[in-house]
Order: sequence, then structure tokens, then C-alpha cells
Amino acid sequence: MDNSERERVEVMDLPPEGEAQSTAYATPDSDQGGLTGWIWRLPTVALAWRNLRRNRLRSGLAALGIAIGIFTVVVLGVFGTVLQLSAADELGGIGNQVIVSPAEEVEAESLATRDIQELERIASGRGELVPLYSDNVVVDASGESAAVQLYGTNTPGLLFDAADGELPVQHREGAIVGSSVASNLDLQIGSPLVVGGDQYRVVDIAAAGEDITPVQPDNAVILPEREFSGEFDQAIIVANSPAAATAVAEETDATLNVRVERVDIFELSEILETIDEFFTLLNQFLIGLGSVSLVVAGVSIFNLMLMSTNERRGEIGVMRAVGIHKPAVLKVLLAEATMLGLLGGIIGAFLSGVAVMALWAVSPIGLDVVFVPRNGAFLLGGILFGMLVALVSGLYPAWKAASERPVEALRG
Amino acid sequence: MTAQEDTQRTDTQSGGTVSSHSESPPAAELLGVTKQYAGAETVTALDSVDLSIARGEFVAVVGPSGSGKSTMLNLLGLLDVPTQGTVRLAGTDVTDLSEEALTDARRERIGFVFQDFHLLPTLTAVENVTLPTAFEPGQDGPRAVSLLQRVGLGDRLHHTPDELSGGQKQRVAIARSLINEPALLLADEPTGNLDRDTGTNILEEFAQICERGVGVVAVTHDELVTEYADRTVRLVDGQLREGTRGGDGFAT
Repeated sequence: MDNSERERVEVMDLPPEGEAQSTAYATPDSDQGGLTGWIWRLPTVALAWRNLRRNRLRSGLAALGIAIGIFTVVVLGVFGTVLQLSAADELGGIGNQVIVSPAEEVEAESLATRDIQELERIASGRGELVPLYSDNVVVDASGESAAVQLYGTNTPGLLFDAADGELPVQHREGAIVGSSVASNLDLQIGSPLVVGGDQYRVVDIAAAGEDITPVQPDNAVILPEREFSGEFDQAIIVANSPAAATAVAEETDATLNVRVERVDIFELSEILETIDEFFTLLNQFLIGLGSVSLVVAGVSIFNLMLMSTNERRGEIGVMRAVGIHKPAVLKVLLAEATMLGLLGGIIGAFLSGVAVMALWAVSPIGLDVVFVPRNGAFLLGGILFGMLVALVSGLYPAWKAASERPVEALRG
Repeated sequence: MTAQEDTQRTDTQSGGTVSSHSESPPAAELLGVTKQYAGAETVTALDSVDLSIARGEFVAVVGPSGSGKSTMLNLLGLLDVPTQGTVRLAGTDVTDLSEEALTDARRERIGFVFQDFHLLPTLTAVENVTLPTAFEPGQDGPRAVSLLQRVGLGDRLHHTPDELSGGQKQRVAIARSLINEPALLLADEPTGNLDRDTGTNILEEFAQICERGVGVVAVTHDELVTEYADRTVRLVDGQLREGTRGGDGFAT
């Protein structure tokens, strides 16, 4: 009411003189906003909005249908993303390692120095090469013995994590023991340890391995390279990315296995890819499932638009009769449907945001897999998709109503 | 500003037209117009009708139900096309125009006053009056306001139809029909839903509109309308029988 009061005052303020009046007519934009309100600036939106407000319950229910559909799609989409990213976090390490060992056919026990140099070249720029001695030995400490995996490398930090802090960048002396070895033999940093007759001190304890790889630190003792002699038993390339790992594996195969199969190459990035593909499929399936509810929402908008345009045949006929073109009428009706979709989409996206935050609050998933661009895209895409579904659902009823000859529509 | 001042303005604007009625072509003409509706049995709603409405002339159309009155109004209003014959609007043959061109012609040259007002319930009085030009550039808000003031609704500009009486609604409808400064105003039972006093007011409004050079055609059952009309024509079974002035030829 405040608004109309203000507008009325402006009407009274119009210049009374005929001349001045004509000037106002000549520049219709000058005073008009105040006269007829904001609505004629965007007549399509304004008419559509008022029509929707006319039967709020009915419009609200139709928008609710879209909201539920969008909610389902977005929540399932975000849920799928969280699953996929969590799995990728868990499996991350396996995709980055390429393990090269002598092929069984050639009966070599070790990799030739020449091959290590070749691998060094292949790995450069794609990751780090870690040549590795490996053996199975029995170790003694505190009067107990245990069979362990023995590794020899100067750079264990590239392969393993420390239980506490960081493993030394350069491993020059002493032994690093895996967590199982440490607990079985009751070892701490500084404890003495006998490996193959030689005594070492424990300089660090490696954390239990989380990655899926054949080179596990749990039951291992890691010594510096100088404690070994001869050629390396295997080489591990820790690549910068799964794609780099794939490239390293392919080039290694093409370089070292030209005529005879000299090395075995163990590489899991392709498995990771397969797992990723599976999750993508799962994600699409979940979204597809959610889309069914959107289809239902679309049908309800279709129904609403058919009913409401049928009820308003006379009004639509009048609009056409007084000279409003068919496309303009069509636009008003489509704007009604689209606004229902927009409204439902916004509500649905908001609710799914709340639901995802609730999921985050009660489950161990991390925010790093929730706040990713893809989930944002789901939210925004959900709103757009809601509008699209509503628009498509409104097409036929709107077209039907706008196309009716005014003379028929007016007859009622 | 008052309604009177606005009237003066409009008079000044259309003054030239008033004096030159006789020279300008008629507001609308039907020349040998026949309208048939195809169906199981072809129905002839209008049969070779000739009718000319001069500018500034108030023509009442009477006749029994089913005599073709509404059909004639629809043809004059470019809402329907004749099966045979020619329709002219302000001297221009509009018989074979496309639907779009007909829509434009309606918006630019014709004003409609429907029997049950047909105002959009979601719009205020002033918005209803502006409706015909709402989707065109340069809508005429101030003109809508002055038209409403002229029909005595200056204090009801922002009321919606459900806040207005029948007579007020009809006056909003009249203001809407004049927003485009039409050459021809068509009214279907303009007094049908109104009491006698309100009806008289509306008819006086029509008389004033005629004075501004607009041709007015009112289809009616109401004897009161024929009293205000310059001429009354009678339709019987789709054929035209011209009366003279006032109630002559009026029979239902």
C-alpha cells in the first residue's frame, strides 16, 4: 500500500499545463516507473509472477515437486562425488608407482646398471626413480628373531612415511624398521638390531603403509645402499601422476623389452582408471535414479500449466484480442513454468546443501571432498536443470493456450 | 491535474479529426460480407452484409440471439475473417492480412469493450489500461492515468478489479479500449451487467468518445443503448435491416 500511496502522489504532481503534459507523453520513460510501478519494465516476468501468486498453494506444490527432484539429483550427485574422491584418496598411491623388476624368463636376479640408467632417463621429468635392493632375512633384537623383508635404498622418504615426523631424505646409516617389526621386536629409535650378523641402530620407524603396493614397509627393515653390493634387484618409479606412471610404464616397455622380455613392469594406474570409471558409472546411475523424480515433477508442472491456462482461456483471449502478439503471450506462460522451476531449483539446491553439510557432520568424510568444483556444478546445474525441466513441461500447454484463436478463447 | 483539463488536452489533439469527418474514409466498412461456419451443416451467420461506420458515428446493432451480431462484431474487430466480402478499417482493406498484421491492426486501430469487462484480475486499473501496449516499446503510462481520470477513476488507479464495482470495471475497460486512440470502438453488451444509472453514464461516455471522431459499434439487447445511438441497425438471420435513429427497428 505504501508503494501505491507514493505513486498516487506522483500522479498528482504531474504538470497541469497541456504543453508540459504533451512533453511528458513524448518521453514515456521519464515518469512512468512511478506511475505504473516496476512491472511494465519487465512485463513478461511481472505478469508471470502475478499469475503464479494467484494460486500460491498450487504453484508452491508444483515448485515443491521440482525442489524434491533437484534435491534428489544433487544429493545423489554430491554423494557420488564424495565416494569417488574418498576412494581416490585411499587408492591414490597405487596409481603413481611403477615397479620394474627382472623378468622371470631371463633368469636374471637383478637389473643391469645400464637398465637403471635407462630408467633414470625415462623417469626424469615424470617422477623420481628409487632403485632398490631387496632380500629376505632374519633379524634379531632383544633376544627375539623375526623374518623380515630387507630393502636397501638411500631415499626411503620417497616410498614410505615415518610413524612420527619425516623419514631422512638421505639414508646413510642405521636401520629404519617397519611398524610391525618395531612392535614385534619391541624396538624404539636407538634400539640395537642385528641384521645378517651386522649390528645396526634403529634410526627411524616407518609408518604402516596405506597404499596398495607390493613394496610394503610394515614388515621391512630398510638399510642404506652401501650395506649392499652388486646390482639393484628392482627399481620403483614414483611418478607425479597416474598419467605420468602410465607413460613411464609404456616407455619402459618400449625401451627395455624390445626383442626379449627383460623386465616385468608392475603398474596400477590402469586399475585405478578402471575403478574411477566404475565410480563415474555409479555416479551417473545415482543421478539417473534421481532424475526419475524430476520427470515426475515435470509431469506435475505440465498438469498445472494445462489446468491454469485452461482456467484463464478468457484472459489469454483478451490479451490476444487487444493486440498482444502470440509470442509475447507464449513468453509469459513459459516464464510462469520456468519461474516455478527456478523457485523449485533454488529450494532444492538449498535443501541439498543443508543435507550434504549434515552428512559431513555425522560421517568421517572430509570437507576436501565436499567442497570441490564438481559439487558446486551439481548445485548450479541442479537449479538450471530444474528450470529446463519446467520449461519443457510448460511448452505444450503454453503453446496450446497462446495458439488458440482469441475469438474461441473469448467465447469461453 | 483534473479530468476536465485532460479532456481539453485530448480535444485539442483530436480537434482536426472532428472537423474533417466527412473527408476521411469511414472508420470501418463491411462490403458484401458473408460468414459461414462449416460443420455437419454449413451455417450462414452473416449473409452479404454491407455496413459502413463513419468516424464519430455511434451505431447500435440489435437483433435476436443467433442473428449474427457477435459474428459481425468479431469481423469488425479483426478477430475473425469473412468467408466472402471485404472488411475495411479506416479505408484500408484488412480482409487478407496475416494473423500478425491483424494483431497489430487490433492494437493500433481498434478498442474492445467486452460484455463482462474481461479485465486481468492480477493487474491494477492503470496496468489493465496499459495492457494492450505493455509489450510494445514506449508504453503510455501517463495516458492511461489521464484516461482513467477522464472516466472518473482518478482515485482508483491502483485498485485491482475485485476492489471495483461493475460500473467501475466497465469504465476501466473503456479506458483500456481508448489507450491506443482507436479509429473504431467495439462494445459487446456494454450495459449488459450494469444498472440503469451506471449504464447511462457509460453511454454518455460513448457519446463523448464519438465526438472525438471514433466510430462506435455496440451490440446490444438494451433499448437504452439505441436511444444514445446515431443509428440502429437490426440483424435478422444474418441479414441487415437498417433502422433510422433511436429505437426504430428495435425488436427482440
